[in-house]
Amino acid sequence: MTSTQPTSDKRGTTLINHWQSGVPVTHGPILTPFVFFLLGVSALGLGLAALRFFSPLGPFSGMNDAYAWGIWKTFNVMTLTALGSGPLALGIAAWVFNRQNLHVVMRTALVSGFLFYATGLVALGFDIGRPWNFYSAILPWRWNSESAMLEISICMPLYCFVFLSFEILPLFLERLYYTGNDKARAFLRHFSPMIRKAYPFLIIGAYVIPLMHQSSLGGLLLLAGTKINPIWQSPAMPLLYLIAAGLCGFAFTIFLLLIVCLRYGRALDADVLNELANLLSGVCVAFLAVRLVDLTMRGELHTAFALNGMSLIFLFESALILTPAVALRFRRVRETPRSLLNMAALACVGGTAYRFIPTSIAYMPPHSTRYFPSAPELFIAAGWIAVGMVGFILAINYFAVLPGEASTWDHTFRPFGWPHKAAGAAYAPSVILERGA
Amino acid sequence: MSVALSRRQAFKVMVGLGGTVATGLLPKTAAAEEEHPAHPVAPADAIAMLYDSTVCTGCKACMPACNEANGLPADTLLSGGIWDMPTGLNAQTKNIIELYQDPKSDEFAFVKKQCMHCLDPACVTGCPFGSLKKSDWGAVTWNSSLCIGCRYCEVACPFEVPQFEWKSWNPQIVKCEFCYDQRLKKDLEPACTAACPTGAVIFGKRVDLLAKAKDRIATAPGKYFEERVYGEHEAGGTQVLYLSSVSFQKIGLPKLGTTSIGHYATKVTSHIYKWLSGPIAVSGVLGFFIRRNWNRHELERLEHEKQSGFPDQL
Repeated sequence: MTSTQPTSDKRGTTLINHWQSGVPVTHGPILTPFVFFLLGVSALGLGLAALRFFSPLGPFSGMNDAYAWGIWKTFNVMTLTALGSGPLALGIAAWVFNRQNLHVVMRTALVSGFLFYATGLVALGFDIGRPWNFYSAILPWRWNSESAMLEISICMPLYCFVFLSFEILPLFLERLYYTGNDKARAFLRHFSPMIRKAYPFLIIGAYVIPLMHQSSLGGLLLLAGTKINPIWQSPAMPLLYLIAAGLCGFAFTIFLLLIVCLRYGRALDADVLNELANLLSGVCVAFLAVRLVDLTMRGELHTAFALNGMSLIFLFESALILTPAVALRFRRVRETPRSLLNMAALACVGGTAYRFIPTSIAYMPPHSTRYFPSAPELFIAAGWIAVGMVGFILAINYFAVLPGEASTWDHTFRPFGWPHKAAGAAYAPSVILERGA
Repeated sequence: MSVALSRRQAFKVMVGLGGTVATGLLPKTAAAEEEHPAHPVAPADAIAMLYDSTVCTGCKACMPACNEANGLPADTLLSGGIWDMPTGLNAQTKNIIELYQDPKSDEFAFVKKQCMHCLDPACVTGCPFGSLKKSDWGAVTWNSSLCIGCRYCEVACPFEVPQFEWKSWNPQIVKCEFCYDQRLKKDLEPACTAACPTGAVIFGKRVDLLAKAKDRIATAPGKYFEERVYGEHEAGGTQVLYLSSVSFQKIGLPKLGTTSIGHYATKVTSHIYKWLSGPIAVSGVLGFFIRRNWNRHELERLEHEKQSGFPDQL
């Protein structure tokens, strides 16, 4: 692991590490060729998505009545929100199980999670056929309380646009504090304690609601019954979908932290990454254990190990999860950034494969039709992902998202272009101390 | 880890846990009947269709009758604009006669496809805002003003009946509704059974038709496949019953268990979500630990802010 000299700063006993707080990226251009490429992809996707306003679904997609759900639902929502479950997984570890050194990477998880959810939900808005009837969501007497779809269609927007938004609000307030005028600061000094008051109560919702809808995503597929291959179709699917969300949440946060910190030359923090890798390996083991018990109890073990097409897919998917589960038990693997990155990537692919396969490859309706996403469908799906990636790059450049050493903080970072009082002022901790949020 | 609990805190936790457990248990004892029993019993007034594949001559008289009653345009794509020639149930076809032919032997059979009007329909269980519902006499009907077009019904239906208008800007879910609005409410039988000249498909009360079907099996032993009525127990029972001399799977009726799919999907979640007791219990437990860790975190934060001058970030 890249070694850095710890600063002389003495922090709280559980908070000693190289990553001390969120620090924005302050150097280097924002609009790199890669970002231009992403902007191109998102422009193409958004342009096609805009056409969808004037067109029915048919000409746009390869969906048909046997495969009624295309990749916007099955990939952008049902699969990618697993990667966006970092706030859930890390939040529960940090706040419920008191892993205090994970607080410093919460912002990375929160921003990526918010972007995954938001882009997925927008994609969903283009996928549903009669969106003008969606106002029923606020009329409880219309709710069909036994429908997993209802739970998802209400809880997902609620989580993303209320609870996750509340959790990332301090990012904006903090920026406002630095770039705003005295009036804004006075307001924030008054307002920030209110956020701290509400925070422990609101984050309960921020964990209970994703626990509900991440398991309901698996619950959705229970009604598909025999259409899904028996290796995947199981009453344990809600639980497995939830564990897979935690797995992907940890794995993707590690992956993202490593990629972005290496890209921007940030020092890494062995303690935090070690902790995350440990948790990831534990969740991987839990996932495989539940999977094995479930297959055994349903008597489908012979199907799973029959070594035919579906069985090989199952074995491949399990191997993708088993490898990090075993490898991350070894300290040397956890402490080598390259191998940690590889293992986190494998776990991401394995977890998302489990979430994606029951809705795609293992989804076999009796009618002999086939579905492959059409070009506009693929471009729009890629467009939303690119929008999320651009959003993340802007966020780490303009807000204190990525973890870093507090001494590298420079509050004159990338102002939006208007002059502000703090700009050019010398680094003064007393100013920061006054900061709220 | 040892938990430092004050007496008051411990009392609060006990009250909270007790309350949530009670909310989970009490309504269950009060409401004796299950929402989705594994083997639903048809109500006495349940109507049904009985289709006997051995009687059907494949005249397809029921298809234009259905189109006329439901105001559906003819699907003339395949015939070059001349006749109604659908290749399966689709956005313009709620009812179809299909031919099964064995390429090797001369075995053949017709089969009529339309909504099976399950006793416990998976589409109704899944429909988020109750657009699909079990109406009077057990007809499964669709309400355009509640449907959001999520197409969960198409994923849920084991018979692949609901069809979505992919080509329409204002897409509807097209499925047989037992001619509920068109004819049932006017005390008329559905258009297809009224039009059938051979009596291959007949309309009546489910109990009567089930008895009639079993009568036919009993009077002609060996004639009917497996000597049973398809739809009596399939997916918890359906209100369209089939008799056939060839295998049900060969004529395109899926092999299904006898348990209702709604029961399979909701047997665990219905307990967890009953009066939201599960989520409330979980938030009680999480809330307790979050508050405890929050208080610890706050103490630590104030201390190290004082020591280091670095503020804490949320």
